[in-house]
Amino acid sequence: MVSPIVNDPAMKPNEMHTGKPDVTDITRRSFLAHMQTALAGVGLLDLWSRESAKASEKQEETRGAWRPGRGETHFAPKAKRVLQIFCPGGASHLDLWDEKPSLTKYAGKPLPGEENFVSFQGKNGTLMPSPWPFRPGGNSGKRISSMLPHLARHVDDIAFIHSMTSKTNTHGPGCIFMNTGHPSEGFPSAGAWLSYALGSANDNLPTYVAIPDIRGEPPNGKANWSNGFLPARHQGIVMSAQRPIRNLRRPDSISSAEEAASRDVLRLLNQRHADAHPGWSELRARIASYELAARMQLSAPEVSNLSAEPASIHRLYGTEDSNQLKAAYARNCLLARRLLERGVRFVQLYCASRASGVDGLLNWDAHKTLKPDYERHCPIFDQPTAALLTDLKQRGLLADTLVLWTTEFGRMPTRQEGTSGRDHNPDGFTCWMMGAGIAGGVSYGATDEFGRRAVEDVTTVWDFYATVLHVLGFDHTRLTWYYNGLDRRLTDVHGRVIREILSDRSNV
Amino acid sequence: MDDPQAATASHKNPPYAVGPTLSSSAWVAIWLFLGLPVAWSQTTPAEPPQPEKPPQEVREAEFFRTRVEPLLVRRCLQCHGSEHKGGLDLRTRASALKGGESGDAIVPGKPDASLVWEYVSDGEMPPKQPLSKEEADVLRTWIERGAFFPDKPLDPFSATTDERAGYDWWSLRPLASAKPPAPDAIPDEWSHWRAHPIDRFIFAKLQEKGLLPNPPASPRLLVRRLYYDLTGLPPSPEELRRWTKRLADPSESETAYRELVDRLLASPRYGEHWGRHWLDVIRFGESTGFERNVIIDNLWPFRDYVIRSFNEDKPFRQLVLEHLAGDVLAPDDPQTAVGTAFLVCGPYDNVGNQDPVQRAQIRANTIDEIIRTTGEAFLGLTIGCGRCHNHKFDPITQQDYYSWYATFAGVQHGNREMATAEQRRERQAKLRPLQEKQQHLSKEKAALVQAITARAEKSAANVEATWTRPAPDRRQTIESFAPRPARFVRLICEATDTNPSARTGFRIDEFEVWTSGPDPRNVALARSGAKAEGASRIARDFADAYAARLAIDGDITTAWLAAGPILTITLPEVETIDRVIFSSDRTGAAGSHPVATFVGEYRIEVSLDGQDWTEVASSRDRKPVREAHRRRRLFEATITPEERQRLGQLDHELAEVASQIAAIPPLPSWWVGRFQEAKGPFHVFLGGSPQRPGEEVVPHSLAALSPTAGSYRLAKDAPESARRLALAKWIVAETNPLTPRVLANRLWHYHFGRGIVETPSDFGFMGSRPSHPLLLDWLARQVHSHGWRLKPLHRLIVTSQTYRQASSFRSDAARVDADSRLLWRFPPRRLAAEEIRDTILAVAGKLDLRMGGPGFRLYRYLQDNVATYEPLDEVGPETYRRAVYHQNARAAPVDLLADFDIPDCAFATPRRSSTTTPLQALTMMNHRFTLDMAEALSQRLAKEASELDDQIRQGFLLCYGRTPDKSELEACRQLAKKHGLRAVCRVWLNSNELVFVE
Repeated sequence: MVSPIVNDPAMKPNEMHTGKPDVTDITRRSFLAHMQTALAGVGLLDLWSRESAKASEKQEETRGAWRPGRGETHFAPKAKRVLQIFCPGGASHLDLWDEKPSLTKYAGKPLPGEENFVSFQGKNGTLMPSPWPFRPGGNSGKRISSMLPHLARHVDDIAFIHSMTSKTNTHGPGCIFMNTGHPSEGFPSAGAWLSYALGSANDNLPTYVAIPDIRGEPPNGKANWSNGFLPARHQGIVMSAQRPIRNLRRPDSISSAEEAASRDVLRLLNQRHADAHPGWSELRARIASYELAARMQLSAPEVSNLSAEPASIHRLYGTEDSNQLKAAYARNCLLARRLLERGVRFVQLYCASRASGVDGLLNWDAHKTLKPDYERHCPIFDQPTAALLTDLKQRGLLADTLVLWTTEFGRMPTRQEGTSGRDHNPDGFTCWMMGAGIAGGVSYGATDEFGRRAVEDVTTVWDFYATVLHVLGFDHTRLTWYYNGLDRRLTDVHGRVIREILSDRSNV
Repeated sequence: MDDPQAATASHKNPPYAVGPTLSSSAWVAIWLFLGLPVAWSQTTPAEPPQPEKPPQEVREAEFFRTRVEPLLVRRCLQCHGSEHKGGLDLRTRASALKGGESGDAIVPGKPDASLVWEYVSDGEMPPKQPLSKEEADVLRTWIERGAFFPDKPLDPFSATTDERAGYDWWSLRPLASAKPPAPDAIPDEWSHWRAHPIDRFIFAKLQEKGLLPNPPASPRLLVRRLYYDLTGLPPSPEELRRWTKRLADPSESETAYRELVDRLLASPRYGEHWGRHWLDVIRFGESTGFERNVIIDNLWPFRDYVIRSFNEDKPFRQLVLEHLAGDVLAPDDPQTAVGTAFLVCGPYDNVGNQDPVQRAQIRANTIDEIIRTTGEAFLGLTIGCGRCHNHKFDPITQQDYYSWYATFAGVQHGNREMATAEQRRERQAKLRPLQEKQQHLSKEKAALVQAITARAEKSAANVEATWTRPAPDRRQTIESFAPRPARFVRLICEATDTNPSARTGFRIDEFEVWTSGPDPRNVALARSGAKAEGASRIARDFADAYAARLAIDGDITTAWLAAGPILTITLPEVETIDRVIFSSDRTGAAGSHPVATFVGEYRIEVSLDGQDWTEVASSRDRKPVREAHRRRRLFEATITPEERQRLGQLDHELAEVASQIAAIPPLPSWWVGRFQEAKGPFHVFLGGSPQRPGEEVVPHSLAALSPTAGSYRLAKDAPESARRLALAKWIVAETNPLTPRVLANRLWHYHFGRGIVETPSDFGFMGSRPSHPLLLDWLARQVHSHGWRLKPLHRLIVTSQTYRQASSFRSDAARVDADSRLLWRFPPRRLAAEEIRDTILAVAGKLDLRMGGPGFRLYRYLQDNVATYEPLDEVGPETYRRAVYHQNARAAPVDLLADFDIPDCAFATPRRSSTTTPLQALTMMNHRFTLDMAEALSQRLAKEASELDDQIRQGFLLCYGRTPDKSELEACRQLAKKHGLRAVCRVWLNSNELVFVE
């Protein structure tokens, strides 16, 4: 049915998994791996793809020869890499993307059919209009909040999904659900799946990078970029403009001469040991991993060196803005572009962080005072994000980069009783995609008149990722990994490709 | 699930218990029953005599049973059973004749009018693989002959199919009484493989494939292997020398080996190492996980209990009983009762949720986590897959799943006081007099306060007349005063507007200081050089989150969150001012919500030098913000000096009693879970949703295992404790084949790096098949015959030749069995994360072998509403303990341990990965820990030898257990001469030979 497509001929693995596969025979291929290693030095590709033994063997039998971790896809991809922008805290669809005139019309009235209903934090009051008008943008005239004037210029390239739903109304589980397809911890995030599926496109940089906000980690922290049950090398590597990759730097107490001499002796000891143990591929893999680490030490500082960018770019993003939170996020946006440019497959970029317990200050969780909260967050988010999109586009990167904007859920059309904020709403919210493979200027799905629930083309996180994987050249039902009783998927046992937002629908 | 009865009813051995459901008064009988040493019903009750049936029906029944039923079960029921695909259910005659959405599925006697036949003959059904000619013929014949159905519905689990396991699945069968293959099949040159039963099993399989094992490993490698395998630590050079010598001496080689095995098994290091394996299997983690992920500081007693249990060689049977019901077995013995921490050491969502639907779902998730872990850890069954529907691959029904739900429904995460009855009594005796005194004092204080309050109300009018100005306003409070020069302005909070007794915890979104004169300016702006100081709420992962500066940043969307009563503003220079304006909610968005708590009572002071302060305004002449504030003011205005003195005395005495009470040590409180009566009745949740209760369930044994393992079924009002105990006893019943199989396989897995079944927690259809099924059952029987003690089993395994053979690679053998699953060699492995860290500490001479107690941390724990874990850049000697004592928080991956695949205990980890990534290299080369250990090792070597060459030799012995050859020595010598011995030590700590064991 399908032949493997090599996504990127220059692709080479940047690290090797040499662990034992989860189950059953790995026989032929791993034997070849052993032999190649023994005979021809380092058969990295083979070594590296061993990890998926069971999943891939099964697929080889039934589906042809797709092999994970080699840049191959199930079918021709539209996108080669992914930028995911995540606004944690439950960014309000009603105040950013999904205009509801009825909230103004019926302001102060109870939500019909759900008077005084109870949600995450308790009782809800009456319908509350968005504090700001919505304005049309682009040729499509798509109306989004006037709080996002820069992003309004991109609406012609965006496919909005206004009918997103989540399984949970709690931030932590919601964030990891949005990132892993499961509301409980322990599952691999989308970036980890992509790392497993494609492998690296750049020897010297991580395959999957997570950029947390300067304000801290998102709800549920590191579980959002976890490798879950996939091998550790698929985890998101944390870095930001404010914080380099951990342990990247050679300690000050060690001179470069000592480092070089030490590496020589290490190589010699390891080589002799490996020579004495033929057929033990892990030994060679570990030798190679030290070489790769050394290259990463050179490449990663280069990618983080934002001062190499011209002043016009800094102005575009707002990296020198007097609002320090905005400037910090802008620098992370710029870092994201540099990472994508250099072959990082998946960049997860956060705008805001965890629940503060004092509401709405660290992230988009505006329970009590929506207006001042969002007047704080929108300016941080708007210009730098729009600049990143502009920059990707002007460099041609958007042609093969898929951009995702996500949040864990939306907010209620009502005010929380006794406040001017909104409670969590997992029953209807907005996420969007743009870039490679995505039709622009599209609004897909809809919530009801008040934005309380998705009613039209109701969409799940699994549909969302079925679509993402499709754009990346993968059939989401076939990208699997055996773990505790099941061949696991990013889309669990669900998922439908949202063909309505694809630029080319012939292939679906 | 539509017809939940259907799934089990036609099974030949009724899977649910024989005997009626117990009445509420009969639970005592259960106790008696459970108290007996395993008395499980194993026999099928005799079929009641059937009335004679006409011969034709007998013939049809026979045809159906032998030909049709297997066909329907294997090829059709997967979709057209409980799943009702296309609306069609082929499990009963009635539902089959009713047909599906497309029409009549089966018209008896008329295959060509039957949609089933139409789809089958078109090759449309079954969708993946059409029926064979023979199968199709059976189907047609059956319809032609009238489509006989028995009275009982078909059971889709009755047989294993290509797509799923049935009751006849290998792992559910009774243990085979396997005998080791005869020794005489082993050729003479391998005669040393004849004696040990394990070797005979292994050799036979190798022979089948035309393979032979390796020769024995060298004594040096064997000693090293054994040390790591049994204790997780390397032998010291001295130990290595001694044991190698004895093992190499043919006259005592065998006895020396056995002696070494016994010594290592007796070492406390054994329990630390093998206890850690077990902690993987049961997803032990010391934080709650999910959004809050709060650290748990009192779970370490359970970790110590596990280590102790392994060291004491507690029978595994006992361990299981204690894990599930230790509190029931020994309520007054903390060392036993602590076992139930097993139930609650997994992640759970404790964020709190007011939405009742979500709350019910979260509770169901919490219990699900316990169900899954229990099923996988002890039985190797993925019972969790029965949550939303019957298990897709294994014969586990939703009823099975929810019977476990009913079993665990009373389990709550949290602490329980752990003490003997005696300890409780003693403490109570000390407490009682103090509590009485406390009550007495409180009473007197209340009376006094009430008397003053009553007087205050009488004279209220006079005092209130002085309150002329409006109460402070969160949106904007203005204080004007006569113009005066000032460099410093401060706001002193005397009470917040939510609580007259609280002086902090308020917020200021902006504080302005205005100059007097015709062109007033706000001079309290950070951007024009003003400074603000004041204790603020701390978020250590985002230092300036709530800083005082935010009160003068000109931005009302940000605010200072006070953690002290005073905000001090320093102007860039002396200004003449006449007004301050401040607020906590300038937009008015928060209303009266506590989120925007403001000052309620305050004064404003100014100063020129920051030393001498002058009050320029206060809230004293304002109206009080709330009734509580009003009462407080009146009280203060009324109280006499004598009363004040007495009140102060009472407060003093109360504080004293409180501190005396606090000085009595509390009883230990551990994270072992609390147990509440399980408020039934319990139901199947259709589609896994608590909002859709289905059929009622009671705790009972798993249907698929009941014919073999025996069965039980509790009354719906059985006590909570009886539920857990019944399950525990059933799991460890001698008739239960799965528990010893799973246990034996786990041991094998850790000894050889790979189990006989390669999926140690999944013995179901999706798991792997055993490579040596008879050996597995033989080992499982050894579990029984050794009284469920593990040490004899270790001894058995490591004394085999299979275990003792060399790990050398042979390409001819690899061609047949690349992964040495058949064990033609001992599989070499990389050390696990803990072993690597422990080894580095050991060779550096820094390993601290103190056992037990609270764990150490390699991260900084930050908590501000939710928890954040930041890895430490430097770690001190308090962390130089074995890694098993690391406080094992969730989602807190740290450096070396995380890089080398320590699992994030979100789930059980029956088998670790062993990956190679550049991150490992970065951590090992650059983290301060490596440098510290390299330094320590070089100092140790300098102490142990004086000449450089000898130091290097000693380093090789410590790290690798061997001496260097010439070129190795030379390379190290050169490096040491140029860059010091520490550089060489750093290289060793990074080298492959240190972290691989063969």
